This record gives sequence, C-alpha cells and structure tokens, in this order.
Amino acid sequence: MVRPLTMFFTRLAVAALAALPVAALAADDAALVERGRYLAVAGDCAACHTAHGKAPFSGGVAIASPLGTIYSTNITPSATHGIGAYTLEQFGRALRAGVRADGSHLYPAMPYTAYAKVTDADTAALYAYFMQGVQAVDTAPPATSLPFPFNVRLSMGLWNGLFLDTRPFEPDPARSAKWNRGAYLAQGLAHCTTCHTPRNFLMAEKPGLYLQGASLGTWHAPDITPGKPGWDKETMAEYLRTGHARNGATAAGPMREAIDLSFSKMTPQDIAAIATYLDDLPAPPRATAPVAVAKIAAGDVAEMAGGVGEGERLYRNNCAACHQVDGDGLRGLPALRNHPMLRYPNADNISMAVLDGVWPEHGQDMPGFREELDDREVAAITNYVATTFGRSTVVMSPERVAVLRQGGEASPLLLLARVGMGLGVGVVCLLWWRRRRRVR
Amino acid sequence: MNNTLSADIVVIGAGICGALLARRLALAGHSVLMLESGPRVKRAELVERYRHSPFKSDFMAPYPYSEKAPHPTFTPEPNGYIEQAGPHPFAAQYIRMLGGTSWHWAAQMWRYLPSDFQTHTLYGVGKDWPLGYDELEPYYYEAEAITGVGGSPDTGSPRAKPFPMERVPASWFQQRVTERLAPQFKVIDDCTARNSRSFDGRPVCCGNNNCMPVCPIDAQYHGGIAAASAEQAGVQVVCEAVVYRIEHDAQGRITAVHYYDWNKTSHRVTGKTFVLAANAIESARLLLMSASSAYPTGLANRSDMVGRNLCDHPAIGVTFDMDEPVWPGRGPVSPCSIGQFRDGGFRSEHAPFRIDISNASQVAAVTKELIGEGVYGVKLEGAIRDRASRRVSIKNALEQLPDPDNRVTLGAGKDALGLPVPRIFWNIDDYVLKGTEQTRRRYDEIAAQLGATNIKHSKPGKFGNRQHITGTLSMGADPANSVTDPFGRAHDHPNLYMAGTGVMPTVGTVNVTLTAVALALRTADRIAQELSHG
Repeated sequence: MVRPLTMFFTRLAVAALAALPVAALAADDAALVERGRYLAVAGDCAACHTAHGKAPFSGGVAIASPLGTIYSTNITPSATHGIGAYTLEQFGRALRAGVRADGSHLYPAMPYTAYAKVTDADTAALYAYFMQGVQAVDTAPPATSLPFPFNVRLSMGLWNGLFLDTRPFEPDPARSAKWNRGAYLAQGLAHCTTCHTPRNFLMAEKPGLYLQGASLGTWHAPDITPGKPGWDKETMAEYLRTGHARNGATAAGPMREAIDLSFSKMTPQDIAAIATYLDDLPAPPRATAPVAVAKIAAGDVAEMAGGVGEGERLYRNNCAACHQVDGDGLRGLPALRNHPMLRYPNADNISMAVLDGVWPEHGQDMPGFREELDDREVAAITNYVATTFGRSTVVMSPERVAVLRQGGEASPLLLLARVGMGLGVGVVCLLWWRRRRRVR
Repeated sequence: MNNTLSADIVVIGAGICGALLARRLALAGHSVLMLESGPRVKRAELVERYRHSPFKSDFMAPYPYSEKAPHPTFTPEPNGYIEQAGPHPFAAQYIRMLGGTSWHWAAQMWRYLPSDFQTHTLYGVGKDWPLGYDELEPYYYEAEAITGVGGSPDTGSPRAKPFPMERVPASWFQQRVTERLAPQFKVIDDCTARNSRSFDGRPVCCGNNNCMPVCPIDAQYHGGIAAASAEQAGVQVVCEAVVYRIEHDAQGRITAVHYYDWNKTSHRVTGKTFVLAANAIESARLLLMSASSAYPTGLANRSDMVGRNLCDHPAIGVTFDMDEPVWPGRGPVSPCSIGQFRDGGFRSEHAPFRIDISNASQVAAVTKELIGEGVYGVKLEGAIRDRASRRVSIKNALEQLPDPDNRVTLGAGKDALGLPVPRIFWNIDDYVLKGTEQTRRRYDEIAAQLGATNIKHSKPGKFGNRQHITGTLSMGADPANSVTDPFGRAHDHPNLYMAGTGVMPTVGTVNVTLTAVALALRTADRIAQELSHG
C-alpha cells in the first residue's frame, strides 16, 4: 500500500520542520517571504484579490458566479480590513478549509478545495509573505450578497462536508520527483481542476471526469488530459509559459489571465513538472484525429461576384485584416486554420473571443466585437470559422450567443434550492396541519 | 414639417469636435441632440467597401457618398461638388458621415507652438489668437487623455503632464532615416492618438500600415469612436439630417434649426443653445445659407468674415530611392517628422514648415511607376521588391497666412436637396512661395544625405491640400474682424457656438485636430457654465 508510506514521509517532513531552530527560521525570514511570494504567484492569488489599478491584494474583484456576484476580500495584512490579525493556523484554515478566522465559511469561488493540497511548509511561507511581503491596505471591498439561501454561509458547511477533501497532498514514491512536484502544483496551488473538471448540479467537481473539460458558463476550459492530437509535454509547457504553442494554440479568456499572472512567472522546472503530471493522467478514449484543413486559396473573385455567404462576408469585414482571408494569420497575428480550439466539443470560445476579444498583458491584443455585431452575426462568424478553418461539426446558435453575451446561464441551483425549500416548507406545514388535526 | 425634436443643446455635425463637445455636455447632465447630415456606417462596412473598390489608392474609397449630403470626391473623376473660383484649386476632402472626417486620417494629434498663437506680435505676420497657449494647455491634455496621444517630448510645445500614451515603437524605416539624417536633421516621433498598449477597450496597433484609409481594429482614435462615446453618454443622434437653415428671433437669438431628412421632409429642431460643428467649409456654407432679412449676408456675418481666411497647408512633395533597403510599410503610415523649421525669426520673411516623412507602403506607387517604365515579367517582381524597399516619400505642412480673399462663398450650383454648393477662391501668396523654396532646398539636402537616386519633386507651382482647413469661422476679440469670440460663441448670436477647425485663426505647421478638439472641450465648459447661470 502506498498510503502508509507517504504518510510516513509527510510526518517525517513535518518533524524535520518542527526540529528547525527558531533562530534559523528568523534568519531565513526573507527567504521564506520570497518563497511565499513565488507560491502566491503559483496560486494566482492576484487574479481574484487584486483589482485592476488597485493596491495588490486589496480585493474587490467582482467574480461572476452562476449564483450572483462574489467580491474578493482584502487579504493584505491590514488588521482592520485585511487578514493582519490572522494567526498561521487561522490563515491555514482559510486557505485550505475555506473557513475564516471568525468561523464563517468562504464561498468556493475561493479554490480552497484545491488549496487543501498545500503543505504546511508552503502554507507557512504564504503566511510569511502575506504578513511581511504585502503592503497593508485599510480599505474594505464591496460586500458579497448572494440571493437567499446562499447568503446563509452556514450552508457551505454542509457543502464542505459533502465535497471538501481535506487531505493534504501525498507524494507517490513510485513516481519521479518531477511528477510529484507537478502533481502537487497542479492539484494544489495552480488549481487546474477548478475550471477544467466538470461540476455536478451542486457545483462540486465530478472526480471521475478529472480535468476532462468543463464550461465556465461562458469560456470553455478544455480537456487537458493527454492524448489529444497536437499536444505533448513540450507543447503544453510552451503554452503555459507563453500562451502560445507550436500547435497553433493561443490562450484567451481566464486562461490567458492565468498565464499572464501566474504560469508565465513560474520557473521552467515547475512548468515542466506540471506538464509531466498532466501528460500522465488517465484520459477518455480518443477518436482518430481529423485530417488537417489544407491551405485555403482565398481570392476576391467569388466575393466580387456576390458568391460568399454571410459568415464569410462578416469574417472578411471584421476578422481578415489580422487573421487574413485564408485564416493563416500574419506576422504573429494568430492563424485560425487548424487552431486547437476548433476541436473543442463546442464553439463557445470562438464566440467569446469575438464578443470580448483577447487581452494579453503584453503584446498584441484582439478587440471585442460586442458592440459591433449582434447575436446572429457572432454566430455566423463562429460557424464560418469552425467549419472553414477546422473540421468542427458543432453549431453555434444566436440563442447561445445571447447567453454568452449575458455572461452564461444562471445556475439551476438557485431554482432547485428555492423549490427545495418550498417543498420543505410545504412538508413542515403539512406536518403542522396533521398535528393540529390530531390534537383536535 | 415635423416639429418634434428639442434639447438643451443642439449640435450640428457629429465629427470628432462636435461629438466630444456633445459628450462632455451630456456627462454634465444636459440633454444633447446631435444632427449629422451623413449616414451611420459601421467600421466593418467601411472595410468591405474599400476591399470592393477598384480605387485602392483613393483613401476616400471606403466612405459612402450620397448626393443628399454630398462631399468632394475625386475618383474616377472629380465630382466638382466645390466650385473652384481661384487661381489654385482647393481640393478639399472631408467625410459627411457619423464620426466625420477623422475616420480617415493618420491620427496626428499635435499641439501648436506657443508662438503660433501670436505670429503678428512676434513676427509681424498673420494674426494673433484671442487666447494663448497656456490657456489652452489643460484642454490640450484632456483631449490627449481622451484620445490616447503619445509623441516626442521635444516638439517645442511645453507640457504640464507627460503624454498619456507611450509611443508606438519606431519601425526599421524610421530608425534608419533618423540615424542617417542626424545631426543636420532631427527626426522626431509624431504625436499620434495611436495605441502602443490596449487602451479604453481598444487594442494595440499591430503595425499593418493601414491607418489610412481606415484602421480595421480601432488601434487609432477617430471620430466614429467619439460619436459612439457621445451616444453612450446619453447624446441623442439623428443621422441623415441635413441642416439647411438656422432660425433666429428679433433679438438675434437662435430659436431653431431646420433640417431635411434624405426624403427631403423638413424638420424643425428647437433648443436653448446651438453648436455649429459641421466642418470648416460646410459650417460657413450653412451660415451663409441661413441669410434672412435681418441678416442679409448670412448669420454671424456682421464682420463679413464668415468663410474668409480659408487656410490649409499648401503642400509640395518629393519621392526618391534611398541607397539601402529600409522597408517602408511596416508600422503606422505617418510616424515621424522634422520639426526644426517650424519656428524662428525667419517667420517674418517666409512660411515655416514641418517636414513629414511617410512610412506608407510604396508597393502600389512603385508598381505603377515600373509598369510605366515598361518593366514586366520576372524582372518586374524583383524591381518592385527593390524599389519598394528603398522608396522614401516626403511632404510638408507649411503655414499659409490668413488672407480674407481666400474664402468660401455660395456657388451657383445646387445639390440634390436644392441647396447651394460651396464655392472656393484660393490663392497662394509670396510668403508661401518663399517657404516652399526653402522646403525644396531641404528636400534636396535630405535626398543627398540618404544617397538618393530617382528623385522626383512634385510639379512646381502646384500645391496639394493637406485637409487641415482653418480660418472660415475665425475666433477673435474684435467683433469687427472675427466670427466668434474667444470661446467660439458667435459675436452676433448669444446662443450660437461654433466648434471645429474653422474657428482656428491660423493653421500653424501641424495637423489641426488636437487644437480643434481642445478648443471644443473649452467651448463645452463655457456652454455648461452659461447654462448653469441661465
């Protein structure tokens, strides 16, 4: 059995940490803070806790959830508005169990179900960084107020009981150190599973479909298990470092942000470790790779003769200046022909890029066409791109574009919860009525 | 006649100046209505129209033309919309469309020099402005901040704050020309409203060299963006509304404007304050068309200055082939210029000028030239490659002095709605000719320094238009020789303001849009102030 052995190693590590003399720790304080800074990058804390143009980690980022807007908190060491009064233990509970110092529960917009894997040592480093390496900011971000019953944070206690795996990461001695490092980062701080694993109706991840792709309501987080045509370890590492890869992949949406703020700032060794781990995951059966789309001869004649459809016309007018009429891009402007995105099970990401654009931190961005194009036009361009530059068989409908434009569908959970409560109230009333009858 | 529209402020013309003025007043809480004679056209349609046009070297090709709101066109043949009455044709180009003429530009956003505001005092020529550089400086900055301007820090125009935008990186062409011309000629970055980073929901310039005729990704600011921002701020916009008469009461206050829709149904629009921002030529035309028994020579025209003092930058150009490949055509079309001849004691003798170095792709021009020379086949391809990589094209922005004889009047002809067309008298004086001689001397020095062959000057005695049209609605302190007061208010009509390049008394040596926008923002503040006291 693997488990007792790993537990032994973990205990050994904890014992070693505890054995360190206090003076040595103090002398290594700066190093610990620096390590914490790196781990905070790996955890991409800034993505949610640093609002654009605001002080680092002062919170207030509006996170759209299917249940309503959740505002991130101030996690600077401010004693009044931040986490300055937290002990290491309280910090660890918030990070890994989603419980604040006052005992109330965090919403799982905070990926504590993934951070639960973070080791005690890394938790201590993160704590050191947030206490000593971050400037305290005494401002309060807007309060989160989700609709009833989700405003009752106690409900999260029940949810955690059902879905939170509190066991920290356990290295697998049968695997390489590289694999274990990758597994630790991918499962924990990098929290890949938060977006890439589909969720059940209670918003919990489905373990059987680990990292096999999920919709965020708007953007689609693709399957990142191995065996997909055009992807291998090196390609994945290149993609994580830069947002581009030799197979034509270009990052957009939340992944673009994760690369800008987190992956691009991690060490090549850690990126390679994550790629190694991902390359070794169980994967669903794969269909044979479709034949690549050959170079398209794109002239003006058909268009001048009025022989192009709406999607092609809109593509030429709105997209071809950069992506070119033949879809091959130009001088770093990405090619669309055979783009990996065209093999996704839906076309949501094409429409999302058209609606909202792609805005990397550095380099060329793509404008959004939300104001210029209506739902029908976005769908027409999406379908043109999907079928002309790829072998996609998925179809985008104007209705789906309308949903994407609004930020995705509202969660059925709200309805279910309210119906559920209604039923509950009904049952209570029924019981009360029966009891009264009995009393009579 | 329909008589349904009304607003606190009625703006005639939805170009960059009218739209940004309207936006500012709407944001201040006023009801604002903006009337645009031309249609509403999306950027994507403009791109399509250009792709479909056989006239790729005509940068007006993407812009729709309607006889209901006509503007000058030149391909395949000039349409003759403007009647030419002078010794030199004034080949005006402007766009009657929501967003106006700055749809088609290179986003040059220059400040004047402080001396440009007082050439009469300093050099005994031209006119002094009724305001100084320092007064306009904060508005210059605001206009730059709205539109995202970056540029060289040493243009000679002092700044209280740094540019809000960093410059787009210099192309290889710009780097080589700058190095080769130093130190005799100092090549500096142009001031442009072009994104070197994402800004205001618009992407960074990708350097594909199609600023003109239309930037397909809005990496540069333009009037269409200004108009959209005005609508977002709550301005009500009516397109295809051709204002043909401004109505006044017995006291000279403006009571309404009348416009034809494109079916020639007339509409009357009332308001408290009116702003005329309909292009320097068309605005003068409208004031002249609005003549009444009380104002027989047209509105705001007691001084007889409406339409007069018409200026542009009368331009000459040169092309040549440099002795090394520098590959113009990558990056913005108009990235750099030479500013050292813009000011000095010589201004009392001859026109100052700026030398504009084009980075536009030369492939089309070179191809035409080579075919004309009889080069064909495999040789042609190689020759295009060689010459297009070395071709340099230069022109100037030279200050013409305001001359009352250079003017816009009403012509004998009528447009499709029965409205008199503009007629223009334009002459070139000795001051310009002497400055032009100086320019040409510099062109030859530049060519020599770049090891040029195949040097071709533009035809002597001919002057191109740069479309920096000023003077027709000149502001001034004295009602006897100006159309508006220092805030753009008509001397003769207390609730009629004017905005746009027409109110600028002199044309300077730089593209005029930034100064016109800064003045428009200042006028907007004045109107808001007036209304809050009213």
